[in-house]
Amino acid sequence: MLTIEKVSKRFRAGNYGVRDLSLEVRSGVIGLLGPNGAGKTTLMQMIATITRPTSGRILFHGEDVVKRPNKLRRKLGYLPQDFGVYDNLTATEFLTYFAALKGVRSKQRVMEMLESVNLHGVANRTVGGFSGGMKQRLGIAQALINDPELVIVDEPTAGLDPEERVRFRNVLSEIGFGKLVILSTHIVSDVESIATEIAVMKNGALLTMAPPEALLRTCEGHVWQSVVSSEQFDQLRTTLKISSAVRKPDGVHIRFVGPSPEIAATAAEPELEDAFLYLMNFADAGSPPMPA
Amino acid sequence: MTASLSRIGAIISADFRIRFRRVSTVIVFLFLSAFAYVWIPAPSTGRTLIQINGQRAIYNSGAIGLGTASLGMIFVGLFGYYVISNAIRRDVVTRCGVIAASTPMRSGEYLFGKFLGNLVFLATFVCGFMLSSMVMLAVRGEARLELFIFIEQYLLLVPPAIVFVSAVAVLFESIPWLAGKFGDVIYFFFWCTAIGLVVANETTHGRMNWARYFDFTGFGFMIGQLQHTLHTESVSIGASSFDPTKPAIIFQGLSLTPEWILPRGISLLTPLLLLPVAGLFFHRFDPVRTGRISGKGRRNWIGKIQNLFKPLTRRAVSLLALPGRGGSFIGAIWTDAALTFTLFPFVFVAFVGITVGSSIAPLAGVLPIVFAVLALIVSDVATRDARAGTTASIRSISRLRENYVWWKLGSTCLLSLLLCAVPLIRTIPHGPLALAALIGGIVFVAATATALGVTTANPKTFIVGFLTFWYVVVNDKGANPMLDFAGFYGRFTVSSIALYGIVSVAAIVIAQLLYRTRLART
Repeated sequence: MLTIEKVSKRFRAGNYGVRDLSLEVRSGVIGLLGPNGAGKTTLMQMIATITRPTSGRILFHGEDVVKRPNKLRRKLGYLPQDFGVYDNLTATEFLTYFAALKGVRSKQRVMEMLESVNLHGVANRTVGGFSGGMKQRLGIAQALINDPELVIVDEPTAGLDPEERVRFRNVLSEIGFGKLVILSTHIVSDVESIATEIAVMKNGALLTMAPPEALLRTCEGHVWQSVVSSEQFDQLRTTLKISSAVRKPDGVHIRFVGPSPEIAATAAEPELEDAFLYLMNFADAGSPPMPA
Repeated sequence: MTASLSRIGAIISADFRIRFRRVSTVIVFLFLSAFAYVWIPAPSTGRTLIQINGQRAIYNSGAIGLGTASLGMIFVGLFGYYVISNAIRRDVVTRCGVIAASTPMRSGEYLFGKFLGNLVFLATFVCGFMLSSMVMLAVRGEARLELFIFIEQYLLLVPPAIVFVSAVAVLFESIPWLAGKFGDVIYFFFWCTAIGLVVANETTHGRMNWARYFDFTGFGFMIGQLQHTLHTESVSIGASSFDPTKPAIIFQGLSLTPEWILPRGISLLTPLLLLPVAGLFFHRFDPVRTGRISGKGRRNWIGKIQNLFKPLTRRAVSLLALPGRGGSFIGAIWTDAALTFTLFPFVFVAFVGITVGSSIAPLAGVLPIVFAVLALIVSDVATRDARAGTTASIRSISRLRENYVWWKLGSTCLLSLLLCAVPLIRTIPHGPLALAALIGGIVFVAATATALGVTTANPKTFIVGFLTFWYVVVNDKGANPMLDFAGFYGRFTVSSIALYGIVSVAAIVIAQLLYRTRLART
């Protein structure tokens, strides 16, 4: 469905946003994980035909999206990072505007979308007064208004409170059925429950792309847990790659990743957060993707 | 085709709603309508709207129509640009443009939609102004309303300016290096040059007749037709003195004579050629071209030049910031004033320029320029927090939360007094009234900039409003003492000083009330 062949994006300053990245995805929710500056946004902008790759090809249903961008645009829903709104428009007017740009004329569809993101009660309120979560839900409504085959959402949960994040995640998992949804984030919990595949990026390169279960297997035997004193913890946090730490009466319960434990520790069952941390620190950036 | 029209219609409709729901639009409209009142003085004051060889034209539909249409023409041609030149930038900033770019919408549709959005906004604005100007016939009129003649004046003068400004705004916004303040400055000089050309042509009786075909401002047509109809070159429009001993004359307004049909038609249509040019430069919200690459902010060249000045200004700014330390309210005012120098090193250069210029040049010649520069600088102070998203942080500081308007007024006043230090010192020998007039003018600028900035969060509201007022004041050259708000021409009176003092206090009180109401709501 979506094929990316050796795509690179080189900026004027000479640095690369994305370098020689290749992947192929069919349908489901693809979680694009990576730290800030990994190249996730640049990759998504290239897929969404906002910016052109310096080299390589992006194919959607076999069509080159750089040569024929409108073929993809008709089937695309895109929610950019730091998405803003026109403060003086009502939710209905805002959505009607983007519906018209996408060639959707049905007012019924606008109302349906507002209802699906639970904004029908505030349809006639100006969006300037909306909370961050409401604005993001309006954003996803505009992305879905044309019933797209490919949905690209870039860091959609940034700035949302935990309740809104869960709600947003649920909306995404519902729409993922029968479509290809690419969701970028640097927060593992955003994708661990809804992603069918996870692609991990670092320094513009793809480290791996695999289903969550396969990703977990990559760090099997490399996740450790231990209980340390507060003083020890302060020292260890600079030397170990700690994925979680919980203070309890008997000390600080830590989980960390690494080829070997280095301190007295027992092996632990890997979680996605551990796998992400392990890949970020112990996998080579630019090396071929790990097998699923 | 239908989908195309639907997309263009959606862009026009969204832009129209966004603009007409802004407080700043209402304020600019009220300001312009109020100006029509000043522009058309009561003949009992010894001043009139149209003066021909010392005779005044009676206030009929032709005279009031032409007088207010010429004001509308100046507004659209000069200030209209600054009002509308943010349609594409708004889409860049909100990132709604990125979404639009990911739809099947063609770049040409987008640019044409933005052009028509500008055009519809300005046309509606002028229509509203025309309707409110018709009321002036009831207020000052000496003849009944002749609708066709009244509307004809607007139709003859304003449409080319609307089309031109709408197209130039789209072109400049499509070219990254013209999309910001540099483009604003370029446009001002472009407008002045365009007027200079057509006026020179008419006053030299057509030596550069080709200029008529590029008379986007409408000045050439107006002057040419007035000379042709009235057979004189001694004509003035807008609150000018007349000889009351001479009889009033009837002026039936301008009409389109055959020799002007082609030039007006070409002036109306030529600006459309700018749209394909805009298409060549349009970035279609590619972050590489708009300079909004995630995590790698690319400065425009004005930013780079400002950065060059930073080493020079850093030491001076650090000295300026010293009195702000300590945490008092006065300290906070000082810190905010010093922040302007930190944010815009050009301000320091302007400060040096004003200081040197006003030390060596005649004060009367320098003061109008100083106030125009001052207006551009202080317009940012009361609006920057809302634009930078720091309002919430500032509201977490208790004494600033409640006294935000006073804080900004203090900062703007301090900055203005600092920039005008030399003109103030040089005014002292002229007597206390002259000094009061200048201080009153500075406070008036500071108060209105703060009030409009806090109310609309848009610096352009104040810039457009003040520069319109400034334009009239400078053209009046002190003929009307009530317009000599800062004593540029030494024609100020105690009443005029008191008037601007009252306006300043009223502006701040209204702004404070609005601010407190908004604060209570949040």
